[in-house]
Amino acid sequence: MDPAEAEFLAEKELVTVIPNFSLDRIYLIGGDLGPFNPGLPVEVPLWLAVNLKQRQKCRLIPPEWMDAEKLEEIRDQERKEDTFTPMPSPYYMELTKLLLNYASDSIPKADEIRTLVKDTWDTRIAKLRLSADSFVRQQEAHAKLDNLTLMEINTTGTFLTQALDHMYKLRTNLQPGESAQSQDF
Amino acid sequence: MFLSDFRKEFYEVIVTQALFQCDHVQYTLVPVSGWQELETAFLEHKDQFQYFVLINCGANVDLLEILQPEEDTFFFICDTHRPINVVNVYNETQIKLLIKQDDDLEIPAYDDIFRDEEEDEDDSGNESDGSEPSGKRKRFEEDIMERTMKRRQRREWEARRREILFDYEQYEYHGTSSAMVMFDLAWIMSKDLNDMLWWAIVGLTDQWVQDKITQMKYVTDIGTLQRHVSRHNHRNEDEENSLSIDCMRIAFEYDLRLALYQHWSLFESLCNTCYTSASLKLWSVQGQKRLQEFFADMGLPLKQVKQKFNSMDISLKENLQEMIEESASKFGMKNLRVQTFSIHFGFKNKFLASDIVYATASLMENIEKDEPGTDNFIKALDSLSRSNLDKLHQGLELAKKQLRAIQQTVASCICTNLVISQGPFLYCYLMEGTPDVKLFSKPVSLCLLSKYLLKSFVCSTKNKRCKLLPLIVAAPMDVEQGTVIMVGIPPETESSDKKNFFGRAFEKAAESTNSRTLHNHFDMSIIELKMEDRSKFLDALISLLS
Repeated sequence: MDPAEAEFLAEKELVTVIPNFSLDRIYLIGGDLGPFNPGLPVEVPLWLAVNLKQRQKCRLIPPEWMDAEKLEEIRDQERKEDTFTPMPSPYYMELTKLLLNYASDSIPKADEIRTLVKDTWDTRIAKLRLSADSFVRQQEAHAKLDNLTLMEINTTGTFLTQALDHMYKLRTNLQPGESAQSQDF
Repeated sequence: MFLSDFRKEFYEVIVTQALFQCDHVQYTLVPVSGWQELETAFLEHKDQFQYFVLINCGANVDLLEILQPEEDTFFFICDTHRPINVVNVYNETQIKLLIKQDDDLEIPAYDDIFRDEEEDEDDSGNESDGSEPSGKRKRFEEDIMERTMKRRQRREWEARRREILFDYEQYEYHGTSSAMVMFDLAWIMSKDLNDMLWWAIVGLTDQWVQDKITQMKYVTDIGTLQRHVSRHNHRNEDEENSLSIDCMRIAFEYDLRLALYQHWSLFESLCNTCYTSASLKLWSVQGQKRLQEFFADMGLPLKQVKQKFNSMDISLKENLQEMIEESASKFGMKNLRVQTFSIHFGFKNKFLASDIVYATASLMENIEKDEPGTDNFIKALDSLSRSNLDKLHQGLELAKKQLRAIQQTVASCICTNLVISQGPFLYCYLMEGTPDVKLFSKPVSLCLLSKYLLKSFVCSTKNKRCKLLPLIVAAPMDVEQGTVIMVGIPPETESSDKKNFFGRAFEKAAESTNSRTLHNHFDMSIIELKMEDRSKFLDALISLLS
């Protein structure tokens, strides 16, 4: 799966915005939205929130977990544990990126948040690499990892499966090699 | 939308585009560089569109006569050219002008200029009436008296009307920047953003760089913008909730008016800024010595000063502005600092408003590749968005070349006495072989050159009378077609109101000598004419203006 596809799926997450226009309830295939009243917070999917923000029709409110202290705690927790800790949102990376790109003026301490999320991401990817490495070394048949998000799985997914494929091919080709005859001149 | 392309007040184009995009309004953007292009473009589009927004063109001529639109087309005009043509002002249906209220326009009253035609008809109607012969004769005489009175009144009225119109239309000048007008529009609609504010600031600075408005107007407008800047950018002081470094911030600066000095070296910037080069008379050997004295006075080693500004020693850069101001006043340059704004985004990017002005001007008149004018316009428009920094840097490099070329041309003109007094005005003709003369075949570059030339000339000449004369500069425009571009600028004085009478003067001179001229530019004081007609045109001008 493409990272772009993962981002697309992440855009379905709901965020709170405060619109500055009014509109009645709109009925879309995926669900209902609205009604929009100026000054009153309303929950909309991320894709709509970003679009409205670009057209200057709303103000975005960062999700609860996007706060410097909470993220610091999460990062420290992640560093302490050997396994993966549960993340505040299954799409935390995409949400952070989109919100900080388009609405960094409504998020306090945006630079700190960016650094903290990146730190957490780095720690988790490092753990993933480590576990993939030990998986291959010990030639395990299956592994179970909890609390991984889609984006993280995507970063190693293709590579890991293709590498394991190659290794399987190499291993299955070992046996016939012993009885192979060398070429004579 | 139509807009003039060589006029750099196209910052309001971006504001309008932003507003249109927010509301998903469909529009077509057509840059035009002269009346002919405006007419052609109008003819092309008039069947498809009903609403036309003209930016920086069209206010100073009778638009309805030139374009001959249908009854239901509407024009919205946002133009800084003054005086606004009276027909445009008093037309109530098809033409809407976007102007700020306190812009003082001095439009003549309606009754002084327009008069109903029906009054004439009544007189001739009375002739056929009449019953008795004797009464008829008396009434006939009275009728004749009345009619002659009316005719005399009418002639007086017409003479006064001509005078009023002549006074009104004699001088050309510029009003509030259209960028600022558009920003006000956005503010009234509550759609104003920091971005738009920045574009309005750059529009105003452009007017100042090109010397189109008086110093007082500039300072007043800066004051207005300053209020908006503090409204949008007050969060920077609050440490707790300060914005991300990537957000754009605008800050008020009382900074040096050296062109592009933060992107160049201090030495180059001082040499190539008109104000300093004219005051220090850098075209002469003595001037160069004074420059070195100037640096020595400030305690800046030459080696440091010739380096790129960003690589100068921090200890030297710390109090640079105050140091330079002190030393400058000793050398006769009292106004080296000017109120302006700067923009900050990310860690690397800091630009002063005047930097952007020079960069986009040079991008728009880029002669390096032979591209059509509209391409250059689009490129310059792109460079204003923050995601196209490489175009902006390209513009800065071109601007440096342009400034250097201007200074060298000015220096050679003054040293070889190419500026001659023709009586009522000064005149300078750039020969074909002059280096960089191709750069000056474009109107804005030529205007900049003329202003710098006049300022330097005023500083270099000892003749008191010559200091008060206006200047006309001509340069070859297209060698194959044998055309010359001519620009007239008002005299350079402290309290100049920047009003330019050359527009009308050029028109009259062209009429009287039947010269083949093209008054294509929206600014009436820039014309093109054939090389052969140059001398008789000038003679006509001299006799007209003396």
